[in-house]
Amino acid sequence: MAKLTIGDDDLIENPTPRVPVVLCLDTSGSMDGAPIRELVRGIAEFIAAIDADEDAHDAAEVAVVEFNSRATLVHEFSSVDNFQSIASLRALGGTAMGEGVNLALDVLEARKGTYSDNGVLYYQPWLVLMTDGAPNGNHVQLERAIERVTAAIADRKLTIFPIGIGEAADMDMLARFSPNKPPLRLQGLNFKEFFQWLSKSVSKVSQSSPGDAPPKLDLQGLAGWADL
Amino acid sequence: MARLLAREFERLSTDLEERVKTAVLTVVRDRLDRAAQRRGCARTDLATTLLAVAASGDRFVAVHVGDGVIGVMRRDGPDVLSAPDNGAYVNETTFVTSARAHESMRLIRGPLEGVEGFILMSDGSAESLYDPRSRRLAGACAKLNRAIGRPEAQGLRARAAHREVREILATRIRAATRDDCSLAILARSDG
Repeated sequence: MAKLTIGDDDLIENPTPRVPVVLCLDTSGSMDGAPIRELVRGIAEFIAAIDADEDAHDAAEVAVVEFNSRATLVHEFSSVDNFQSIASLRALGGTAMGEGVNLALDVLEARKGTYSDNGVLYYQPWLVLMTDGAPNGNHVQLERAIERVTAAIADRKLTIFPIGIGEAADMDMLARFSPNKPPLRLQGLNFKEFFQWLSKSVSKVSQSSPGDAPPKLDLQGLAGWADL
Repeated sequence: MARLLAREFERLSTDLEERVKTAVLTVVRDRLDRAAQRRGCARTDLATTLLAVAASGDRFVAVHVGDGVIGVMRRDGPDVLSAPDNGAYVNETTFVTSARAHESMRLIRGPLEGVEGFILMSDGSAESLYDPRSRRLAGACAKLNRAIGRPEAQGLRARAAHREVREILATRIRAATRDDCSLAILARSDG
């Protein structure tokens, strides 16, 4: 009896839909010492945790932007396989948060364009904003950044995770970036716990289908390392 | 929905587009309301996309809300009749329960000349059977259609052909996705 034969060439292997995540990190002088070391270690943990998760590994693409007295793209968007480990970051200068967020948004927009040009589907992009202080960069840039972020959130084009590091973090300012959910304050230097939680969230969203509720903050998962 | 298409094919294939869309949504939402009442949930809890094709005489009617793909098998090759409406992101689409369902609905009506069949797939199946970059169907679509429409030409019995299509869906297509995998084939045996 004959058999219906469907070869590999008869089927299409579409690229895995991507979850673009940009880390926008405060590397101002006040982060010098243990905070910056723990932050760098946390990024490595984040990449390792994504690498170890089958779903997140195929879906996540990560970029890193730092801001001190100016904003710099530390790492272009890449999959975890192509992510060059960040050995260290220098903490110095001021806190040009507006410039940092604007650069992060520009990098995200460019990546979305690359996805569209290549027919790659993607999930709502994520912006992780981490700071231990208050912005003291260009005021116009800061207001523009807040406006861009809040407009993107209102249009469901962005998910933001605003994270305060330590007691001096300006939580009111972080809240201005996030009209729908309050910022988190890390307890101590629990970067590792935060990035582990973040990688699990990436995994969760990469498995979501139309109709699924957007990922929510796992409040129980915050216990011990962050406060709302 | 099937009953509506069967009983009112003539009207649906000729009436004003806006009226047909309204009739389709009214029927589907009414059914969902009844189902929601039985289950003690809200209509939106039963959100679903919709893909349907009916053929009669020398004409067809296709209705599509949301993601998934409707393909048409023509004598000169497969073609996409209706592509996915995914919104901005992969995990977003329009459901029959959505406010913009009417606006999103694609209603396609046309002649059956040169048509050998239709293939309807949910988004999970589309991952293996549809290329969003080129907006083309996979070669497998024509093979599956022929297997159902003219199994004897493939050296298959009709029952065996159905079984093999089900098996391909449950193994090859299912293995490539985490989304739901539905597949419906409407194939002409005289095409």
